[in-house]
Parts: sequence; structure tokens; C-alpha cells
Amino acid sequence: MGKTSGAARDAAEPGLRSSPRGGINAAARDGTTLILLFILFVLPLVVLLVSSLASVWTFPRLLPESLSGRTYMYAVSQGREIFASLLSSAGYSLLTVAAVFFMTLLPARALARWDFPGKHLLDALLLVPVLLPAMTFSMGIHVIFIRTGVSDTLAGIVLVLSIYSYPYMLRALISAYMRISEQYSVTARNLGGGFFYTLLHVEVPMLLPGIAAGASVVFLVAFGEYFLVFLIGGGAVDSYTGYLFPFLQGSDHQTASLLTLIFLFVPLLLFFLMEWTTSSIYRKRGLEA
Amino acid sequence: MNRKHSGTGKTLLLAGAAGILFLLMTLTGCSGEQEQMNWIDKEFDEIEEAAAGSTVNFYMWGGDARINAWIDSFVAGELEERYGIRLERVPMDASVFINKLLNEKSAGKQEGVIDLVWINGENFKTARENGLLYGSFSGKLPNFAFVDPDAVSTDFGYPVDGWESPYGKTQFVFEYDSAKVPDPPSSFEELSEWVRDNPGKFTYPQPPDFTGSAFIRQAFYAVSGGPDQYMEDFSEERVQPGAEKLWDYLRSIKPYLWQAGETYPQNKARLDFLFERGEVLINMDYNPTAASGKILDNRYPDTVRTFIMEGNSLANQHYVSIPFNAPNVPAALVTADFLLSPEAQYSKNQPATWGDMTVLDLTRLPAEWARKFEDLELGAATLPFEILSRNSVPEISAEYVEYLEKRWQEELLQ
Amino acid sequence: MIRTRTGSLILHLMPILIPFAALFMTGIIITVLQSFGIGFALPEGTGFLSAYREVFQSPFFLASVRHSLWIGLVSASVSVMTGMFLALLIWNTTSRVKKYSVVYKIPLILPHITVAFIVIIIFSQSGLLASLAYQAGLLSEPADFPNLFYNKTGTGIILSYIWKEVPFATLMVLSVLQKLDIRYIQTGTMLGAGFFRKFRHLILPHIAPAVHTTFIILFLYSFGAFDIPFLVGESSPRMLSITVFNLYFRAQLSSRPQAMAILTMMFLFSMIFITLYTRAVTAVNPKARRI
Repeated sequence: MGKTSGAARDAAEPGLRSSPRGGINAAARDGTTLILLFILFVLPLVVLLVSSLASVWTFPRLLPESLSGRTYMYAVSQGREIFASLLSSAGYSLLTVAAVFFMTLLPARALARWDFPGKHLLDALLLVPVLLPAMTFSMGIHVIFIRTGVSDTLAGIVLVLSIYSYPYMLRALISAYMRISEQYSVTARNLGGGFFYTLLHVEVPMLLPGIAAGASVVFLVAFGEYFLVFLIGGGAVDSYTGYLFPFLQGSDHQTASLLTLIFLFVPLLLFFLMEWTTSSIYRKRGLEA
Repeated sequence: MNRKHSGTGKTLLLAGAAGILFLLMTLTGCSGEQEQMNWIDKEFDEIEEAAAGSTVNFYMWGGDARINAWIDSFVAGELEERYGIRLERVPMDASVFINKLLNEKSAGKQEGVIDLVWINGENFKTARENGLLYGSFSGKLPNFAFVDPDAVSTDFGYPVDGWESPYGKTQFVFEYDSAKVPDPPSSFEELSEWVRDNPGKFTYPQPPDFTGSAFIRQAFYAVSGGPDQYMEDFSEERVQPGAEKLWDYLRSIKPYLWQAGETYPQNKARLDFLFERGEVLINMDYNPTAASGKILDNRYPDTVRTFIMEGNSLANQHYVSIPFNAPNVPAALVTADFLLSPEAQYSKNQPATWGDMTVLDLTRLPAEWARKFEDLELGAATLPFEILSRNSVPEISAEYVEYLEKRWQEELLQ
Repeated sequence: MIRTRTGSLILHLMPILIPFAALFMTGIIITVLQSFGIGFALPEGTGFLSAYREVFQSPFFLASVRHSLWIGLVSASVSVMTGMFLALLIWNTTSRVKKYSVVYKIPLILPHITVAFIVIIIFSQSGLLASLAYQAGLLSEPADFPNLFYNKTGTGIILSYIWKEVPFATLMVLSVLQKLDIRYIQTGTMLGAGFFRKFRHLILPHIAPAVHTTFIILFLYSFGAFDIPFLVGESSPRMLSITVFNLYFRAQLSSRPQAMAILTMMFLFSMIFITLYTRAVTAVNPKARRI
């Protein structure tokens, strides 16, 4: 997979096109796709922005009758609470990612590479927590946590979020494992590497794209979760969703809009960081993104 | 690589055993027996001393930015300065924290995380019936001397007995834009005509939403002759004739409502949206100064005003209480007391902060405070205090509320 | 050092099986037990199945079930197909612009609770889209705009789910598409295959496992989730999750077994659905990887 020459690289652009890349057609196609994506996914954010600045805004105006900085002043005055809860949410979300990674790395390895009786059943069974409504098992877990003193703690939140989101990481790791050849590990072991050494220095680096994908999803699921965090955390652990939720239920749309936009900030930041690092790592190693 | 032995089987057995062990542990285990100290018997100076330097966790509904801001800035600030207490406000719906306390009670959790809660009505009744509260404490609070105990002796018909301490009063009003609605109705009969003249421009939140439920309660009073007959304990015979008239009334206005009454806004927030966008012309709120506040916030045009139905405007109080397993009872007591202080009540009463009416009895206050309250500017959209109190009607017991809510679903939604 | 293959397998699976059993399975078991009334001080004469009996006797229950199934089906199908479509579009973009296409992930970042809120602002009869239509001369007052949130078909919920789920489907399909060897497509082109041919025979089989997994996830999620219906749902019929919430949080303690009963049934339904669906997929194409 080395560097390809210019023309060959052009032709190697993925896609269904019958015509080669370049030219007006491609630009038009690109343009339409981008416009569609922006209308679908970015425009609503713009609406939120306008809403956060609106005072009175009635139908059928496209823009508010008048603007006001009230919501921004509120956010500034609440700055400490907002920042603390964002930090807390990010904190337990990252801890969940770590916990989930340790929970699923070895099982993914086994499920990807080995065949054993009951494997398909196990595969399906392990997917179940992400399919079931959280309520189904969270009420029961809460009782357990209360009795073992783990409720209203950070550990409790991380545990329940892990059990709720691990299948994403598991899936991602299994797919990633299936895409790398066993030969690398075999070679490494033959050369004298121990089990964990091989795992950490040979397999994990090759799994990185899968890990990144799984980690993003797990982080987002944990970061955006309201019900579980509140049930198990009991309000003793700060969360931004807990802070935001009453506003979404209430009628102050303007403040809710602003707080939603603030919510976006942390994952967006992390996302950009990740996209940027992974693509630069890839570029450095000459891999296709 | 196939296997002869069922590795999976053994693994699952092991895991299953671990799980069952866990299960048994949790179902049979019990948290340590830890008796709550009885702070109510102590002197208030002792309580204040014990509270100094600690944190109080106040769990309350968090859906109103202004209330949050008042608690976070004024109340938290004063508590810190006067008593050295740090206030942590935790936004949580009453039904959710009641549920949490229920879980903790049945699991035997003697030390929880909630010190103080904002509570009233049905939730208070549930809390009392399930032993979720600490004790009868309001009589202990020094500032309770400013309150008329008879005015706060029942909460939705349920005896308070000091198990919760009042801190605000509120009353049900309707809101409208005087620039668009020149002649609002002043009785439910007139409302009936108004909706015929203005089809599709009125609706109410679907019970069991708090505001929607209050709306139908008032309609219930109007068609059945008032709340006095329901002050006794709940009985189906007593409520049924009036209820039938209520369903008839609501069905009669149904075709002229928004969406022809086929569907209703799920909650007050949705109704607010409809009103703010101009889809309906009349709003309602269980807070007489909310409209003035929204005008100050630039959410309403300054032509918005409020009206009430003559002789038929629901009023109630809201309270704070202390859970059975509160970890910091002294600080909770001090906070409850502070909320009853004239300073806090006055600050709360300003439309610019919250606008919530005071529970203090002006005749029991020192003269200068009484005057301050009387001179308080309540906002252009707020009705004068005398009009509000003259037309106020009390709440009836929570069982009536539940009955009406449940039957509304059956009668109006089918 | 572990020598036996079985021992190795057990060690490999332990990190997930222990939490799975201790937390997840016990959580479910407790739910089921509570649905039979175990663990509650219930009045005399309530049998093990009283909660189930009361649930089925409720006139609203069947309507809720139908409603939840309908919403699950429509949301998942539309999301999966749209997601697939978007994934193809993005896959087709040139690398110059590809990095901008990452905006499709925005709904993934937002929690479900905010998506409901956004959809209300935009799609209400007096919302932004209606205002746009008014400016374009398409309607003259809010009532002319389609009533999406207050009809019995749950369109508001479906729209919210779709906006949130399409990026998930796109993500799943894209991650598989990107591993597709481009030479297959080029060969197809050289042999004269048109767009649909290439899609059906080259791409679809490759992405099918991801599509099936996504559909299952999205269907069951839309079927049973709570956040969005709580904020957007209409009067009736009600989603099952809301019924459970009301029974658990807003009713008497004695109603809790009913909530647990509904949850137990939802659990059983989900398990049966997964089994049947994966069986059906295998029956159609025995060689395909099922999940």
C-alpha cells in the first residue's frame, strides 16, 4: 500500500462513478452533496443560534422581531455551574470509554478469531444491552447499587454507562480484529513476545481506527445520557445533561437553545482533535483514510 | 479452531454463579443501622453552629432560569455570608426525587444525598404516606413566627403538621396580549362564548400536567358551585355529579379549541410555545407575576396582561421539606428558616427576580417591612394583590385531583 | 501461564461476562421479579400475574404497543435507507471536499433530548419551516401547515428519531464502505455495469451486515426509548416507555409491578425479534455474516 502516482491515485478514488474524477460533473456532485449535508445538519444549529438571541419571535417571521442578550448574560452568570457540569460529564464519559475498552478488548479478540460452541448465541447476547430500553435493567441495577453503596457515586455512573454502551466498542473491536491478520501476532509470539506485549504493541496499534470509532460512540452515548446518569447518580454527580434537561422541558426556548449550543462544544472540540490526529497519523504512515 | 469442550458453557456457568451470588447479596443485605440524630429538639443556635461551614444539597425543579438564578445568586450568597453554608442546587423533578427516596427507603439507605426539597401537593402526600420525610420541623424555625399557621395548615387538603415549611404562594391567572385580545372573558361561561368567537385560538395543557390540571379544577369549581363542598374527604358520590357537569362543559367547548380539541399540548411549556408564536391567544400560568417577568425578559411584548375568572382563581403554597435520610439536617433547617426571612421573601417577590408572592403575614411583620411589601411594584401585567386575594379559591385534596386527571383522560381523549 | 484453549477462552471472555452477569442480568432478573410483585408489600389477594392482568386490561395498552411498533418500524427503515444513501453520497465525494462532509455527525453529538427540542422549533405549525412556507406564499396561517406533532401517527417522534439516527446509519455504512476494495467497482465499470448493477451486486452485499445490525439497533431503540417521546410525544396513543415512566414515577407504589411487567414484555419481545430477524437474514443468504 505505498504511495501511488498521480493518475493512478485519481483513478483510485472510491465511488460508484463510471467517469473518472475531475471536471464539472464531480464538482457539481460534490457541491450538491455538501449543500444537502449542510442544510440537513448545520442549518438547525443556525436556527438554535438565532433562537438564543431572540426575544419576541412570532410566526411567520423568519427572523425574530427583536434581539436580546438575556440568555448570554444568564450563561455568564451561571458560568461556574455550567463549566463544572461540562467537566464532570466529560470526566465520567472518558472514564466510561476506558472502562469499556478494558471490558471488551479480550472478548473481542476471542469472538473475532476463534470459533466455539455457542459463539453466535453469545455474540447476540452481548449485543442486547444496547438494544433494550435502558429502563429495563436500570431500575434493577439501581436497587443493587443502593444496597452496595455504589449509587450516587461516580463509580456507579461509570459502571452503568459501561454496561449500557460497551456493545459499540465490542462491535468496533471485533470488526477491527477481523480485518487484521493473525499472522502479525503469531510472528510476534514466535519471536518471543509475551501475550500482553503482543497485545499492546502489535495488535492494539493496528486496532486504532476501530478503537477510535468505538471510543467516539461510547463517549457520545455517555456524554449525552440523561436518564441513567440521573437515576444512578442521584444528582450527587454533576452532569451537563442534568443541568440542561429542565430547560428543554420548560418554555424558555431561548436559554435552552444557548445551553444546547454550549453542549455541542466539548464533543465538537474532541472530535476535531481526533479527526485531525487520526488523519495526520494516517498521512504520516501513508495509509488511506 | 474448533473446540471439543464447551468453553463457553463453563464460562457462562461461572459468570452466572457470580451474578446470582451478587443478586442474593443485594436482596438479603441491609445497609448499616444508623439512627438519624434528632435535631428538632435542639436549640436553634446549636443548629446554626452545626451548620456552619457545611454544604446543603437543595433538590428542586430546575426548569425556570429565573428561579435558578435567584437561588444561585441571592440565596446562596446570603447563606454563605450569614451562616457560612454552601448551597448546592440540584435540578430534579419532584416526582423523580420522590421516586429516589422511595427506592432508598425500601433499600434501607440511611444516609442519602438530599438535604432539602421543594415539594407540595400530591408529592407531599406520597412522601408522608411512605415515611420519606424527616419530621415536623417548621415550628422550630424562628422566622416561622411571621407566618399565619392557619393559612398554611393544609397542603391540597392534607394536613401539614409542620412536616414542610412554606416559602411561597402563588395563584392561577390567564395571560393574553391586550393588543390582540381587547375583551378577555372573566368567567367560564364567557370563555365558552369566547372560543366560539375565536375558534382554534385557545387550549389548555393536557392533564396530568400541573397547569392543565389546575385549569380543569377551576372549571370544575365553576360548573359545580365551588370548592367548599369538596373540603371533606374524598368520595366518589360526592365528586361525581360535579364531574359529569365538568365533562359536559369541556366537551361543549372542545370543537372550538385548538386542533378542534382532538389533541392538547403535552405540557405547559408547549402551550407557552403556542402562545409566544401566536398560535393561541390565551395562555395560563399558576404564577401571577410570570407575565410581568417575561415582559422584563423580552419574551413577551409589553402589551401582555393577565386576567382571572371572577371568584375562581386557584391559590396554593409551595414548601420545602427535609428527607428522612438527609445527611445535613442542621444546614437544611437553617436554609428553610432563611427562606422565611423577610429579606428573602422580599427579594423573591420582585418581578425582576422571581415574582413569587410571600407567605408572610403582613400583620405579624415589623411595620417597616409590612410597608415595603405593600409598596412593592409587581409589574404592569400583574393584577393587584387585593383583586387576587379577593378572588382566590383554595385547593382540594389530592385524591380529587387524581380522580379528575384520570377521568379527564377517559372522558375527553377517546 | 494458561495452556488450555478453554482456559484461555474463559479468561478472554471474563472481562465482559462478569459485569454482564452481575449488572445487566441481575438488573433484568430484578425487573422480572418485581413484575411478579416480589419485593413489594402488596395487598392481600394479588397473585403473581396480577400486574400482567391489569396491564392487558388497560384500554390503552394495545394502542401503545401498536404505536411503539409503528414508530420503531418507520423510524428505523427511513433512517437506514437515508443513511445508506448519504453514506454513498459521501463516499462518492472527492477527497478535497470529504473533510467537510463530517458535518453529518452533528446529530450524533447532540443528546436525544435536544433533538426533540430542535425538531419542535423547526417543524411546528408555527415553526420555522411554516414561516418559510408562508414567505414562499404556500400557506396563509399556521393551521395550513401539516400538523406533525399532534396527530395520532407520531410523526413528530419519527422526525426526531430520523434526524438523530440517520447519521448513525451513515456512520455504520461508511465505515464498512471505506474498506471496500475499489478495484471491484472498477472491474464492474470496465465490464459495463451500470450504477444500479454495481450497487446491488457489489456494494449491497458488502454493507449488508452493517445495515442489518443498524436496523435492529435503530428499530429496538425507537421502539423502546424514552427521551424523545417524553419531550415530543402527543396525547394518545402513548409510547410504551412513557406508559412505563408514568406507572413508575407518577403513580402509586402499587403500580410499579405493572411498569415492570411492561418492561419484561418489552425485553422478551426484543429478544424474540433479534432471533427471528437474524434467522431470516441467514435464510435469505446463508453465506452472509449475520451480524
